[in-house]
Amino acid sequence: MKFRYTLELLTVTALIAFCLVFLYTSSAMKGAGFAGSDNEGSGLIAELSGTPQENFTPLIPQWHPPGGEIESCLFALQAAIGGLFVGGVFGFWIGAQKKP
Amino acid sequence: MHIMEGFLPWQWCLVWWIVALPFILFGIYQLKKILAADRETLPLLGVTGGFIFILSALKLPSVTGSSSHPTGTGLSTISFGPWITSVVCAIVLLFQSLFLAHGGLSVLGANIVSMGIAGPVVGYGMYRLLRDTSVNIYITVFFVTALADIFTYVTTSLELALAYPAETGGFVSSFILFMGIFAVTQLPLAIIEGIVLALVFKYIVALKPDILVRLKIFSEEKIDNARNDAS
Repeated sequence: MKFRYTLELLTVTALIAFCLVFLYTSSAMKGAGFAGSDNEGSGLIAELSGTPQENFTPLIPQWHPPGGEIESCLFALQAAIGGLFVGGVFGFWIGAQKKP
Repeated sequence: MHIMEGFLPWQWCLVWWIVALPFILFGIYQLKKILAADRETLPLLGVTGGFIFILSALKLPSVTGSSSHPTGTGLSTISFGPWITSVVCAIVLLFQSLFLAHGGLSVLGANIVSMGIAGPVVGYGMYRLLRDTSVNIYITVFFVTALADIFTYVTTSLELALAYPAETGGFVSSFILFMGIFAVTQLPLAIIEGIVLALVFKYIVALKPDILVRLKIFSEEKIDNARNDAS
C-alpha cells in the first residue's frame, strides 16, 4: 500500500526544522531583535542617501496604529479575514461532496 | 518587501504606479470575465486569495536575525495567473497601507509591482515551464510558490537600488546590499511557504479536481495521477 501522507509528513518536518533553526539562531545570535526586514531596508536607505531616517516624511499623510497592541490586532484581523475565506470554502467543498 | 511611505522619491513612485496600473486594470477585466463565465471559480478565488491575506500577515523569524513575511501568491498565480493575483495583492497592500502603516499610498505602486506582479510573473513562468512536463503537480506548486516569494524580495531590492545607487559601486553594489537584507532573510521562508502551499494544493486537488481541469490549470491526466498518489 502506498503511503498517503508524504506531503503532510514533509510539511510537519519542515515546520519543526524551521522552529529548531529559529531556536538555534535566537540563542546563538545574542541581541538579535528579529526586527522586520522592511525596517532594516529603511535603515539602509537612510545610510545610502545620507539622510537620517526621521527626515523621511510621508508623501501622502498616513495613519499609524497607536502602539504595538493595536498593530498586532490589525495584523491578526488581516490573517483572520484570510482564514475565514479558506476555512469557509474548504467547508463548503467538503459539504458539497457529502451531498447525496 | 514593503517600501515604507516616504522612503521612495516621488518620481520612482510614479514610475512604479505606471507599471502597476495596466496589470491591475487587466486583472480586474480578467476577473470579471472569468467570474461571468463560471461562478464556480469564486470559491477557488476565495481560497487562493485567502492565503495571500493569511501568509502576508505572518512575520516569521529568519536565520539572519531579522523577520520577514511570506507572500502567499503561489496558489493564486497557478490558478488565475499574475494579472488577477495583482488585483488581490493590491487589496491586501491597500489594507496594510491604510491600517498598518506598512507601505503607503505613494509607494503602493512599487509594492504591488514587487509582490503582485514581478514575483507572480516569475512564478507563472515557472508554472508554464513545468505544466506540460512530467514533473509532479506538487513539485510544480512548490517551485512556483517559492520563486514567486523570493522574486518579490529581489524586486524590492531592485526598486530600492534603482532609487538609491551607492556612491561607490552605484546600482550594483546597492542592489547587493539590499539583497543581503531582503532576499537572504527570505530564502528559508520561501522554502517553507513552498512546502506548505504544496500541501494546501493537495487538498484542493482532492476536493475540487473538476475546477482545476475546467480552468485548464493542469491536465486531467496529471490531476488523476496526483489524486492516485494521494489515495
